[in-house]
Amino acid sequence: MIMALVPAFNESRTIASVVKDLLLYVDDVVVIDDGSVDNTADLARGAGAIVIRHSLNRGQGAALETGHDYARRSNADWVIHFDADGQFMASDIPAALAMIKTSKKDVLLGSRFLGNHQIIPWFKQWFLLPMGRLVDRLSGTVRLSDSHNGFRILGRRALDTIFITQDRMAHATEIPGLIAKYHLTWVEYPITVQYHNFGQGTVGGLKIVRDLLISKFL
Amino acid sequence: MLILFKFLFFIIVLTAVMSVIRRGREGVLGKSGLLFWLLFWFAALIAVLYPGSTQFLAAYLGIGRGADLVFYSAIIALFYLMFRLHIKIEGIQRDVTKIVRQEALKTTIPAPSSSKKTV
Repeated sequence: MIMALVPAFNESRTIASVVKDLLLYVDDVVVIDDGSVDNTADLARGAGAIVIRHSLNRGQGAALETGHDYARRSNADWVIHFDADGQFMASDIPAALAMIKTSKKDVLLGSRFLGNHQIIPWFKQWFLLPMGRLVDRLSGTVRLSDSHNGFRILGRRALDTIFITQDRMAHATEIPGLIAKYHLTWVEYPITVQYHNFGQGTVGGLKIVRDLLISKFL
Repeated sequence: MLILFKFLFFIIVLTAVMSVIRRGREGVLGKSGLLFWLLFWFAALIAVLYPGSTQFLAAYLGIGRGADLVFYSAIIALFYLMFRLHIKIEGIQRDVTKIVRQEALKTTIPAPSSSKKTV
């Protein structure tokens, strides 16, 4: 079974089309509504998704781990992390799935930099992303061409091994860290990202560093 | 004026020590915590009643004045307390997440699953 996990917080503008697109390529779409105050949950359900609803906003990492929990109970064979804001292309999924299957890897990580057809804000490309890569290196992650890309595919072994403890955005550093820690095999795959908004800014980056530091003492 | 301040501080320390002992008896505070807070309040009382006492320790540590030693120590203690609070809060946040997750998964209504796709 192929299951897409879509963490969503106030994504009523895009969620229905994202779910419909995903259903063309996967068996189940699980939207984890992370305490939205708009009608994200209703729209997702109406579009055909299974909706898990957090009563409080807990962050993207927490929502993904809730999705992992559900996927483990549902005996999913493959889990796809997919953003709710419409920045990813569901049409990238078949080729990405084919790649992880033929290469027999545990995890596939999306990359904006393996292909050369991306339009990325320059501050993000030349400052925030290199800084993100540096933080990843210092955190002992596997070496990726793209830092903090939300498109991932996890096989069953990875799903049973990767437990996300970072509730907010630091999960994007935690996951490559866990891949390295548990010696999971991985591959990068070029995906298309259409920027509708800027995403993580400098303040967001600093919060990630703070979360990573604090977690060392927990 | 100074005698009044010393008297007031003595009352505050007495109240704090009684509170620490009560929390120790209730089991809220462990043995090491009890000892730490009793020593802390005792040291604070000595420093206020005999201001010259800090001078001795300050000179030993190479700090000019006793008041400076108290000031530096207070800043270090506050930073440490902030750090511990941050960690404590993060721990509580993670517990909240676990509860929210359990509740969410318990109340999830599954949608009809589509046919199994192969790639």
